[in-house]
Amino acid sequence: MTETFAPSRRALMLGSGLLAMPAIGHAQTVTNITAHYSMPAIFKSAQDAILEAFHASQSEVRVSYVNATPTYEDGAQLLLRGAATGQLPDVTFQGLNRMRLFAERGITRDLRPYLADEGNAAELGYSAPILAIGFQGGKQAGLPFAMSNPISYYNVDLFRRAGLNPDAFPTSWDGVIDASRRIRALGGGIEGMFFRWPGDDWMFSALLFGHGGDMLTPDEKDVAFNGPEGLASVRLLDRMVKEGGMPNFAGVADLQAFAAGRLGMMFRTTAQVRGILESVGQTFELRTTIMPVIDPARGRLPTGGAGAMIAARDDARARAAWRFVKFATSPVGTSLMVRNTGYVPTNQIAIDDPKYLGDFYAANPLFQAATRQVGIMKPWYSFPGSNSVRVTQVMVDNLARIAEQQATPEVVLADMADQVRRLLPRA
Amino acid sequence: MSERAGFGEALAGWLLTGPAILAYLAMLLIPTLAVVVLAFTDFELGMPGFHWVGLDNFSELLTDHGMRTSVRNTALYVALVTPASILAGLGLALLIEAGSRGKVFFRAVFFLPVVSLMVAMATAWQYLLHPTIGPVNAWLALFGIAGPNWLGSSDWVLVSLGLIGVWENAGFNMVLVLAGLTAIPRELYAAAEVDGAAGPWARFRLVTWPLLGPTMLLVTTITTIRAIRTFDSIATLTQGGPNKASEMIVWTIYQEGFSYLRMGYAAALTVVFLVVVLAIMLVQTRLIEKRTHYS
Repeated sequence: MTETFAPSRRALMLGSGLLAMPAIGHAQTVTNITAHYSMPAIFKSAQDAILEAFHASQSEVRVSYVNATPTYEDGAQLLLRGAATGQLPDVTFQGLNRMRLFAERGITRDLRPYLADEGNAAELGYSAPILAIGFQGGKQAGLPFAMSNPISYYNVDLFRRAGLNPDAFPTSWDGVIDASRRIRALGGGIEGMFFRWPGDDWMFSALLFGHGGDMLTPDEKDVAFNGPEGLASVRLLDRMVKEGGMPNFAGVADLQAFAAGRLGMMFRTTAQVRGILESVGQTFELRTTIMPVIDPARGRLPTGGAGAMIAARDDARARAAWRFVKFATSPVGTSLMVRNTGYVPTNQIAIDDPKYLGDFYAANPLFQAATRQVGIMKPWYSFPGSNSVRVTQVMVDNLARIAEQQATPEVVLADMADQVRRLLPRA
Repeated sequence: MSERAGFGEALAGWLLTGPAILAYLAMLLIPTLAVVVLAFTDFELGMPGFHWVGLDNFSELLTDHGMRTSVRNTALYVALVTPASILAGLGLALLIEAGSRGKVFFRAVFFLPVVSLMVAMATAWQYLLHPTIGPVNAWLALFGIAGPNWLGSSDWVLVSLGLIGVWENAGFNMVLVLAGLTAIPRELYAAAEVDGAAGPWARFRLVTWPLLGPTMLLVTTITTIRAIRTFDSIATLTQGGPNKASEMIVWTIYQEGFSYLRMGYAAALTVVFLVVVLAIMLVQTRLIEKRTHYS
């Protein structure tokens, strides 16, 4: 049996060798690099499409993916472990709020020299606000690859039943709280609204930035969220609970209630549009729109999502890695990403020129809400120093006291400022 | 001659146990020692080097508020889950053993939680315990009871996790007790009946319970350990929240090490955790062993 099998196996190898011939022709110029990303459930089809298009566009750089990590947190750990054992991928896609950590620890490269080599970054579609998203800790830590911002999801059927006009979603939080009360009055366990404050500080920063506030002072030496903007933010959260009757949903309870048609309005990331659309199905009519506006002039919204970073140690590989990063964030790359995920495009050319995504947004109106807020997006603030993740937890723990009505907004804000201050680097 | 045979036998012995010894060294002993070493450093994941900090990590532990909450929650959880799941396991085993039909069926049904993955069950639990659309609260509403916010309220979250813990452990205990029950000689029941122990309670008190002693020791030890090291239900359902109300030791260690990246401090927590668990086991075994030997 083996005897008869051997020649055919040899033929098979010869065949694959022949298939690889074109690559051998350029053998001296081909650079093989590795890339890593997280959340394959969301990003796999986009990454596969981008890889295929990248390979079709040139033949000097070949990219292969290492195993995708399930969450951003796992992805961060992969990179940190890799830094300790010397097994880093050349390109890595990390959560935007974690890029600073890698830049500060010298694990990834500052991208400014590569951008400088390209000449005018704006001509490549890297507008100033887009670059700012990846500019953290004094470095161009990464380039945004997929961006999200918080949006409003609402149940049109519940709006109608409560006598509200679904074509005129409230544009202020006063209006939202009032609508929440009216939807809740329908009874039968129907809740009016849920603002997704648990998990991390992202949604709290939507309120803070919405008021025009900042997390820290410009020199990053002291907290700044305990000013009037911060106080207004925690008071607003308190009103959502007191006046809007907002329930204290844990985990994915809000998604479950919403999908079951028992939650009127939900405020969370646009990244979930696709998933929520699937879980809602035909249960009711789902719509999305922009977040209620707090301060029309100074108000901003935080940016979630992933950024591309270069972790290659070797300079030649880093140059090859840059070519892939540049492609993944190009108008073509970002269009592939948007079509396959539902995030906001990260290239100004793809945003401005309808030839890239015009047809997609016309066919998928639910994805439009986030793009309408692109102009007011601001980086998801990541705290300096080694306590950056712990700061996030401190904020969530304190906000829980408002959600459970265990403390007044004033007390919570003071405690939060006090605890966060102690976690900032002492310089 | 005999010496050489002895040597050959010893060599064979080492060869046979070799793989197990190697695996033990590589997978358990060396990593544990590495953790002990790390506990005296300020190593952070992703940082190029580390410094020796002596007992700093351990002294920080004494003043760490989060850790205190975590220890208190763990103690409460263990105090709830251990006795409840042992009693439930014992009760189920006795009922199944006494029953005449469907033994295999009930054994399988109650053992299911043990083989089901908590990560996969989390969504189901979250739905069952959902404050507004959950079946549990809907069922309570039939009796006019307004169900609590099981996983979202800091007053209830530990109880909810405890109930899930009992559900997870009872089936496992049931199987262990069933094994213990089959080892009890039938003649003893006959003898007890001759001596006048007629009722089921008397039979249980005089025969079953004393002879289950060694089994119950094992069950108690295993359940305590399983309860102390609870992690996946927290990681999948509550992430220690709200406001640390469901923060328990292993979750805290994970947070410190892998979220906050403070490997040195997490290692110190692990060392203390290990010592405390070993001490509990030792005391438990010593105390109960005295009463379970009949030879």
